[in-house]
Amino acid sequence: MDLSKVPNERKLYLCRWYFRAGLALLPFIWTVNAIWFFNEAFRKPEYAEQKQIRKYVVYSGIGSLIWAVIIITWVTIFQINRTNWGEFADNISFIIPTGSP
Amino acid sequence: MDFTLKPVFLLTIVLLYVAINVNAIRTKDKMYENIDASKACFRRLNATHQIGCTSKRGGSTGVIHYCRSQSDLDFILKNGTAPPYVPVIPTNLFTMSNVNRLKQSSKISGVLLYAGDENPDYFTHEQQCPNPESSLKGTCKASSVWNPHGTGLLYQDIPFPVFFVENEETIKFAKECFDKYNNHSFSTQRDRSLCSLQLTSFMYAATNSSTCIRRSNMITNLNPVKFCDPLGDNNAWASLFPLVRGPNLTEPIRDVGYIVVAARMDATSMFDKTEGAISPVTGLVALLATAKYLKTILPTDENFTKNVLFVVFNGETYDYIGSQRFVYELLKGNFPTKSKEFLPEIRMDDIDLFIELSQLNKTETVVAHYLSGTKLKDFLLKLRTNKGDLSFDEAEDSLPPASVHTFLKNRTNLPSLVLADHRGPFLNPFYNSVYDNASNLHYKYLNLTKDDISQSDNIQTHVQKVATMLAKSLYLEITAKSYQGPEDVADLQFIDELFHCYLENANCRVHQAIQKLELNTQPISLYIGVEVAPNFITTLIGLTLGWVTGDVTGPGNRNCTNEPKNYALRYYNMSRSLDDLNTTMCYRITMNFTEAVSPAFIIDGYDWSSGQYSTWTESIWGDIKLRVFLKPSAAHENMTIAVGSMVFILALLLVYFVKSRAHILFAPQLPTLAPTSC
Repeated sequence: MDLSKVPNERKLYLCRWYFRAGLALLPFIWTVNAIWFFNEAFRKPEYAEQKQIRKYVVYSGIGSLIWAVIIITWVTIFQINRTNWGEFADNISFIIPTGSP
Repeated sequence: MDFTLKPVFLLTIVLLYVAINVNAIRTKDKMYENIDASKACFRRLNATHQIGCTSKRGGSTGVIHYCRSQSDLDFILKNGTAPPYVPVIPTNLFTMSNVNRLKQSSKISGVLLYAGDENPDYFTHEQQCPNPESSLKGTCKASSVWNPHGTGLLYQDIPFPVFFVENEETIKFAKECFDKYNNHSFSTQRDRSLCSLQLTSFMYAATNSSTCIRRSNMITNLNPVKFCDPLGDNNAWASLFPLVRGPNLTEPIRDVGYIVVAARMDATSMFDKTEGAISPVTGLVALLATAKYLKTILPTDENFTKNVLFVVFNGETYDYIGSQRFVYELLKGNFPTKSKEFLPEIRMDDIDLFIELSQLNKTETVVAHYLSGTKLKDFLLKLRTNKGDLSFDEAEDSLPPASVHTFLKNRTNLPSLVLADHRGPFLNPFYNSVYDNASNLHYKYLNLTKDDISQSDNIQTHVQKVATMLAKSLYLEITAKSYQGPEDVADLQFIDELFHCYLENANCRVHQAIQKLELNTQPISLYIGVEVAPNFITTLIGLTLGWVTGDVTGPGNRNCTNEPKNYALRYYNMSRSLDDLNTTMCYRITMNFTEAVSPAFIIDGYDWSSGQYSTWTESIWGDIKLRVFLKPSAAHENMTIAVGSMVFILALLLVYFVKSRAHILFAPQLPTLAPTSC
């Protein structure tokens, strides 16, 4: 979809619904939303719906960052402590690597 | 020629040329040379530890360094300039101290072992006290351990792969490669291509048995992975007289005492090559010869109050797997079967006497080991009376590692003794190793016919004397009379043939007499293996035991079936004798198998830290292979990567430039004006 050919209300509609969809624990939708509409929100000359689009882009960006921090923290803790946690770690694993403790 | 056909024609010619001339060898086959016939050391686990070796995922590579002596190995550990190395060492350098140095050095990524020209004096990697946790406490004293030359390497966790090749011929290619590329100018080794080995033996399991069994049983996704398998196989047992009587042999005989004669049938070593000549084959052959001779001199049960159970246990090297399971089922009343309707229930207290046949090499004396007991003095006297010209000795308060330990742990007053060839420590310098083979026994196949006697003093006549002594003593014990009949000694031909079967060629006369399959002309490995892949040698040993204790009920034909079904007996067509393999008779056999899997794997919610039962498992692996190739120097490899990356970046730049100036470089085709029609 080429955003330059889409009317402004439609852009606002898309941005808003991408933001709402990301609330269902879907951080990648927020990331996509923030990147895709970044030019529209901050680089294009002023137009009516831009203020709202900017709001949604900012919220999506902040949400993505928070998710990134949470995921990186959990992955680090798990990778470091998987061996120590023994049976509990095996129970929450989807694939257990072969050949390592 | 037509404009459109020309490229097609050209293409066809090119393809034909290629198809005719191209020699389709895969690139990897031109680079690598496989070494087959190598045995790897693999990983086993118990409840608390992992033992054995593993390679890195995808294989461990290292530069070959051929060592003939300790100084070669020291040289590479100290002065090696192009790590990692894979030293190729003879077996006499495979000692505990060397392995520790190899483990600590960061230059070693694997070891290849070859059997050197001379056999080492000692080569046993079992512990000094075998089966320390599952044997009775106090039977292995620190002042006189059973296996004094044991290094315990079998139970070490080695972080790199160790492979074994039997003779130097198989690694001739590697040696030539080493001499050509590696064996000069060691200080500049880093700068040139070096001959390397890749050892692949990646093991999936880790930590201990409880972890890998738990992980194997977990279903987390649609593609469950198995990490390890419990060790296990079958025990075989047979009774001298059937356990049932009556016109149709359906009435179980209850209230009879049992004498158990036992032996083990498994061996182990660090590599997957186990012939186990002294331990266990001598004891096993002695048991089978005793069974045959006893059946000859005491064929029918005339209301005797005792029966003899011959039991062959499997898995005894790994914390007595077979006997632990046997005792477990015995205590639950499940021996011989769960139902009490067709067979009598045999309980622990019904066993009057337990005799175990352990290592029985031809040494100075045969020693009867026992813990103190009064009932035994009787039987020992009988053994002394019947010993013939064997030299017989007793060792009180001494019990070498044997299946009887499991029985004594559950019933301390069981009268039991172990017949062995050693009074103190083992006299077998190659206990549980790859060198315990026919030459360790000085065994030569005599290829006898029935009733032949052998003049010389060899292992066959020695086992014959032991079997004769034991069988005559059992005869005396059962009937309270001495044997006075014509058959004076055990069957020497049978003993000779059995040794040949287990140590030299599995497709031998005994195995052809009892079943019809053609077997490999190699000895079958006696390692217990995993539960899911039973070893055929167990079936063969069981059938042999059944054959020698069975009764003939008629000629061997299609009528020899178990109809109507009798749950106490089996019927097989087997050869009448070893000299007459083609005549088959119908044998009614009392032999059966029982599962030899540790109770730890069948009890729900077993406490793995209790140490009550054997918990040995074997890791699962993917490929095990060994190959030789020429590894380029580090500088060469770096240059290859650098050139490749440069080409990549340059190509990207070039494509970018061409794309951005495409409208200049490629002039657009102007449409030609359509000709005006006429």
